[in-house]
Amino acid sequence: MIEQINQLRAEAHSQIFSAPDPEALDRLRVHYIGKKGVLTGLLHQLKDLTPEKRREMGAVLNEVKTNLEQDLKQRQTELKRIVLDKEISGASPLDVTLPGSYAINAGSLHPVTRVMNDVVQILKRIGFSVVTGPEIELEFYNFEALNTPEDHPARDMQDTFYINPPVLLRSHTSPVQIRTMKENRPPIQVIAPGKVYRSDYDLTHTPMFHQIEGLMVDEHLSLADLKGVLNYLIKNLFGTRSLRFRPSFFPFTEPSAEVDMQCIQCKGSGKDCRLCKSTGWLEIGGCGMVHPNVFKSVGYDPDRYSGFAFGMGIERIAMLKYGIDDLRSFFENDIRMLEQF
Amino acid sequence: MLLSLNWLRDYLAKSDLKIDPKDLADKLTMRGIHVAAIKRPAFSLENVVVGRIEKIDKHPNADRLQVTQVIIKTGQGVEPIQIVCGAKNIAEGDIVPIALPGSILPGDFEIKRSTIRGVESFGMICSGKELGISEDSEGILQLPKHSGIGQPLTSLLGGGNNDTILEFELTPNRADCQSVLGLAREIAPVLKTKLREQKPTKFKITPHRTSSIIKVEVEDPNVCPRYVARVIDGLKVQESPDWIKQRLESIGIRPINNIVDVTNFVMFEYGQPLHAFDLRKIQSGTIKVASCKTPTDFKLLTGESVGLEPGDILIQDGDRPIAVAGIMGGENSQIAADTTSIVLESAAFAPHQIRKTSKRLALHTESSKRFEKGFDLATVAAASERAAALLRDSMNANVYHPPIDTNEFGAKEAVISIDMRDVRKITGLKEISAEKASELLDSIDIPSHKKSVNILSVRFPTHRQDLKGNVDLIEEVARLEGYDAIPEHLPTSLATYDRLDESAFDFEFKAKSLCASMGLRETIHYSFVSDTVLRNYGFANEGMVSLKNPLSDEMKVLRTSLIPSLIQTYAYNLNRKVQHQRLFELAKTFVWDEKEETKVKETAFLAGLISGNLSGSNWKDKPTALDFYHVKGLVENLVRQLTSVRLAFEAPKNTTLYHPNRGAMIKLGLKEVGSLGEVHPVIRDNLLETSEPVLVFELNLEALRKYERSTTRYKIPSKFPAIELDLAFVVDKSVSCHSVLENMKHSGSELLTDVTVFDIYEGESIGPSKKSMAFHLTFQSTERTLQDSEIQDLKNRILANLKDKHGAELRA
Repeated sequence: MIEQINQLRAEAHSQIFSAPDPEALDRLRVHYIGKKGVLTGLLHQLKDLTPEKRREMGAVLNEVKTNLEQDLKQRQTELKRIVLDKEISGASPLDVTLPGSYAINAGSLHPVTRVMNDVVQILKRIGFSVVTGPEIELEFYNFEALNTPEDHPARDMQDTFYINPPVLLRSHTSPVQIRTMKENRPPIQVIAPGKVYRSDYDLTHTPMFHQIEGLMVDEHLSLADLKGVLNYLIKNLFGTRSLRFRPSFFPFTEPSAEVDMQCIQCKGSGKDCRLCKSTGWLEIGGCGMVHPNVFKSVGYDPDRYSGFAFGMGIERIAMLKYGIDDLRSFFENDIRMLEQF
Repeated sequence: MLLSLNWLRDYLAKSDLKIDPKDLADKLTMRGIHVAAIKRPAFSLENVVVGRIEKIDKHPNADRLQVTQVIIKTGQGVEPIQIVCGAKNIAEGDIVPIALPGSILPGDFEIKRSTIRGVESFGMICSGKELGISEDSEGILQLPKHSGIGQPLTSLLGGGNNDTILEFELTPNRADCQSVLGLAREIAPVLKTKLREQKPTKFKITPHRTSSIIKVEVEDPNVCPRYVARVIDGLKVQESPDWIKQRLESIGIRPINNIVDVTNFVMFEYGQPLHAFDLRKIQSGTIKVASCKTPTDFKLLTGESVGLEPGDILIQDGDRPIAVAGIMGGENSQIAADTTSIVLESAAFAPHQIRKTSKRLALHTESSKRFEKGFDLATVAAASERAAALLRDSMNANVYHPPIDTNEFGAKEAVISIDMRDVRKITGLKEISAEKASELLDSIDIPSHKKSVNILSVRFPTHRQDLKGNVDLIEEVARLEGYDAIPEHLPTSLATYDRLDESAFDFEFKAKSLCASMGLRETIHYSFVSDTVLRNYGFANEGMVSLKNPLSDEMKVLRTSLIPSLIQTYAYNLNRKVQHQRLFELAKTFVWDEKEETKVKETAFLAGLISGNLSGSNWKDKPTALDFYHVKGLVENLVRQLTSVRLAFEAPKNTTLYHPNRGAMIKLGLKEVGSLGEVHPVIRDNLLETSEPVLVFELNLEALRKYERSTTRYKIPSKFPAIELDLAFVVDKSVSCHSVLENMKHSGSELLTDVTVFDIYEGESIGPSKKSMAFHLTFQSTERTLQDSEIQDLKNRILANLKDKHGAELRA
């Protein structure tokens, strides 16, 4: 019987590994180890043997069965692979350099939006919250409350669009400071992004542009804190580069400063640099300590509270960041410009 | 404001200091006195020497050129140098300026060794204009015969040769720095020197009183707080002395005559504008300072006529205007060639009125620029004295003394105390002492004395009208100590408030990002357009808000819709051959609303435009032209991502903009929140050069934000199997998908969890006014496995209700 089994084993093995397809393989499975298969038949014959012999032969047959199952499984894997190989070789090679085609091509965000969001996200990390205010404002918020009475020379600094006095198009984002201070109590730490309007249109001015304004009010804030915040912002926006704070004048802050950043083109050397006009510095914004009169206009005690404010033009930052040289191109909406962002 | 460093030296105690202009400019800028540019004056001429023309030959290759031999050194055996020259007015023996190679002439013109038409040339013989020292460009500048050959040209031109000009960009508060003296006050400590002591001018009291010749009447001292009038006679109009001409020319002021030049000179010197009237022409004998009462035409000394309006401050001869105060004199009283006596005016005028008038007349003179920023009542008198002394001393003129002086208020010097603890708190200069602050203030002539460890008593000098309170002094101390000295510190605060605004910014940014991810490009347009544009697209209405002072008609009306701008940008890019466009903008629209504080309601809108093919120009996919359902799908996707609401769509309101059969109003409940559709073919045909459909949408983002997606509630997916069913039936074409869906949902109860339309068919086989609609229905319970009989019942109910309501017939 052993011989018979061994012969069967060898025969099955060779048949399994020459099975041409999964169907033939399945027939072999049925033939050998199916319910009415050859091996099952042999197992039935065991009942005629002595218990000892039966145990011995049973073990042999079971081992053969296990072997055959392994063979079948292996052949099955091989056959699957043959089918896949056929599928693979059937597909001719692609030109992988042809452009891809997904249902839609990505659009783009305007560079002003990108920069604005960059600035907002950076300042949020150090505790600033976003506030917004109306673009149509009252003289009170745009000027008077900001220590800029009617005959103040600074009213000429920014030619203002009017709907009907005292209603105007805000000429800066600073009115949001006033609204925020009136509606809240210190401590205050906010940024106000948005559109602003000035009646000026030439190579370097557009009648509408974007600003972001920052305001922080608490009991012990100084110019040192203002320097810290702006350095943090610029470092995160442009990488490490030195800033200088140059004394300046704004009606709503005192002391006031213009913030200059080391020129990104000449790295501050100023040598033959058109971007910074050979000064080595680029103006990026204005700032200062909130003027006591501004605090008074919102009912804060200037002896108790101090604070700082800063503002910058987003287009200016975008021009520096992306190397855009014409301010007006921001509002032409030429797709050849927009698609670069 | 321009400053000549040589002029500056006249006011410094150490006038021969070596000044590094770049260093000085940097230091001043960091003290808040911003130097915008460092300029070489016209006559800074290095490497230009005196030479003598020895020999002149014709140029062998050019008729109009000559070849000269010039000596620029004296002594035995000196070889002449060869220079090619095109000028005609030269002769052998002429003494002329020679620009040697390396010279840089005005206009950044560098002289190099060159070959001109085959002949070598080692420099240039110069005209006065080329050297920037005269207007005469006609020919070579002829120098005096006795000039030393080889010496630098600058040595012939007197003191003003090695000058440097600083151009200042002053902040509006620093009126005092609009003068050489004022700048000298700031500069002296930077150069570690002091101001030169000015000797007071003395005048003899004249037997004839000034008031016997003229009178001065000031209508309102608030408009003219001080008026000093001097009578000076015995004058002869002629050229000014060279030193005055040079000073004026160095900062680009053209000398006119000795009288006018002195008034200009003192204006730049003291910052106080002066004006000289010809005494003969003041017929009434009374100078009256009065506001204009009725509109009048007035002829300025430039010959130009301007319209005066009520409020303008006028200087009148009796009732006849003779000058627009603080801005410009009139032709009727100006200095003439035969003037011998004058009235010299030095006065203070209300800055805001000067500003108003000069702005209206578009007359921005050196005088008005100074008055606009303010005045120093003390300087009004000092400048008058200075000018009178200059005229007396340089021309031997007779100055009537004392002058008429209406000084109503007197120059006052306020005294305040400043607490150093405040200085430290605001500046962050933790160590600064009262002594240090006092020293800093003293360096720019702000006197102070220490009252206690922390208290400093400070007197505000009259020339610093901008100093009013503590904070002004804090700023002075900070800027003089230098902002660089202030340490840097990142503050922390515990600020908390209602973050509603923050969510608005984030919501808007999310909407923009979604649009971009769906293939749209963000655009930003001006908020104002022409009313014609709004009208063209059916957006002109009575709610439109106009600017009172627009830049132009094109920028006159605030947008009531963003769509017109997008269509214009579409056309702009179409002209540049961009076929497949997808644009969006997020911005505010504006309409009148009495309820608002400003009477204008502003609302954030999101608008978009798509046109061309779904997948652009693509080598692989079959082109599908974008249509109504694409823009609708876009809007639905957007709103689904942004909010938790479902929108409803109805026939459009704006049928000027939209194709009457291919537009829709978007509603959220009962509220209209936008519109979408295909641009009306008439508009497309009139305004756009395309025959492709242009699809647009507009959404009220503020209305949608109330339903921001963050309010979503999670539902556990059912564990029980879903049963799916397809139904197709025929209805009249007019039956809307929405009504069929609503009907099915109603009949299907909560077990009908999803219905989608998957096919719409129209064709002859079902009749001309009919359409077939095919739906895919999903039934599922969250509690149990549904039985076939239940589904059958639901199906029957759905079909019965559809038949009942819409006459729908099940298709076989």
